[in-house]
Amino acid sequence: MHEFDWSSIPNSLPFLWDGMKISLEITLSAVVFGIVWGTLLALMRLSSITPLSWFAAGYVNLFRAIPLVMVLLWFFLIVPHLLESIFGFPRGSDMRLSSAIAGFALFEAAYYSEIIRAGIQSVPKGQMAAASALGMTYGQAMRLVVLPQAFRNMVPLLLTQGIILFQDTSLVYVSALADFFGAAYKVGDRDGRLVELLLFAGAVYFVICFTASRIVRHYQNKLKTA
Amino acid sequence: MISMNKVSKHYGAFQVLTDCTTQVHKGEVIVVCGPSGSGKSTLIKCVNGLEPFQSGEIIVNGVSVGDPKTNLSKLRSTVGMVFQNFELFPHMSIIDNLSIAQLKVLGRSEEQAREKGYKLLDRVGLRQQAEKYPGQLSGGQQQRVAIARALAMDPICMLFDEPTSALDPEMVNEVLDVMTELAQEGMTMMCVTHEMGFARRVASRVIFMDQGRIVEDDSKEAFFEHARSERAQQFLAKILHH
Repeated sequence: MHEFDWSSIPNSLPFLWDGMKISLEITLSAVVFGIVWGTLLALMRLSSITPLSWFAAGYVNLFRAIPLVMVLLWFFLIVPHLLESIFGFPRGSDMRLSSAIAGFALFEAAYYSEIIRAGIQSVPKGQMAAASALGMTYGQAMRLVVLPQAFRNMVPLLLTQGIILFQDTSLVYVSALADFFGAAYKVGDRDGRLVELLLFAGAVYFVICFTASRIVRHYQNKLKTA
Repeated sequence: MISMNKVSKHYGAFQVLTDCTTQVHKGEVIVVCGPSGSGKSTLIKCVNGLEPFQSGEIIVNGVSVGDPKTNLSKLRSTVGMVFQNFELFPHMSIIDNLSIAQLKVLGRSEEQAREKGYKLLDRVGLRQQAEKYPGQLSGGQQQRVAIARALAMDPICMLFDEPTSALDPEMVNEVLDVMTELAQEGMTMMCVTHEMGFARRVASRVIFMDQGRIVEDDSKEAFFEHARSERAQQFLAKILHH
């Protein structure tokens, strides 16, 4: 029977917290960039300009058909070298965090764009007609009338996707980046307490994600009754 | 003010409008009626280019709607439109609904826009509701706000697309009263409606449509007393029965 020994956790909390900060940084940046890029993709997809809508459809289908780990690895292995050779970044500069964020953002944008596209389509067509009838341009009507309503309906879905993204940040272990999961793994490995540390990390992920999804659910109910 | 010449439109093989020709002069109130699917809503949506058409010509205040060089947004800002389902912006307060296009399209100042908005709300009897949201108002009130929103742009003419069809019966009159007042003040109006009482009171002319064609285009007296086409007679017999 395995004897649990949790003693290495308290001392490594600062290190684990540093890891958590990286996980949160990746999550937040990827959510923000993913939503911005995803919105543009959704608008392209719905556009009447065929090349734009084809590009967006191709992008979304491509990223939804390949595993996230693979995208992260590509960004970890290939993109830094490209940047080095194109922009002359000093060789060996640590680009792991930025390439991880870029990988997540581009990958998540494909999923966000589908959520946002559905959100835009959920706004009654008459709203666009009314905005146009008042003399607004397409851009103004989208920005002032359609998108605000679309996002209001989409907030729960976007947050849920953010929670999934937070869990997926653990995949950055492929680039040996010390996010929360990576940090826990390192501590466990060092002290020979891998089981304890992974259980602890699992519990932390569970508490955060469960709490967050309860909050989303609460917001969702409020939205329904409003 | 509005002139249509042989306007035709089709969706694929389905002909929605066929050779529609008519004129609307300044200060005229035109009531467009006809059975459902006759193309009357499509016809007035062509006037401000919300519906594209394939052939023919529509000139609004000297500007050709179908010309690809026309700045449609600019043209639309001068033509007010009221929709069957109100289409107020649900995420904005009533006063913001009235101000937004004044600010963003006409470039008026916040102060000017709000002042104009309050004045028009006063006029439709809804000054008290200015800070509320559309969802908190009754259908009749929402439609009055929608009329005020269109008027806030100082339009040269107004298009009404079945403005009372989505309303509970007891709310129809409050909307018709606002429209009647507007007509009596000399606003040029094109109204798709089945409210024949309204047509009798204020219409200068009645256009009757059937299967995408303008079948009758006559003074209201001529239309109600002796409609020429059999189709219009049948239509009138049906709706005037009740």
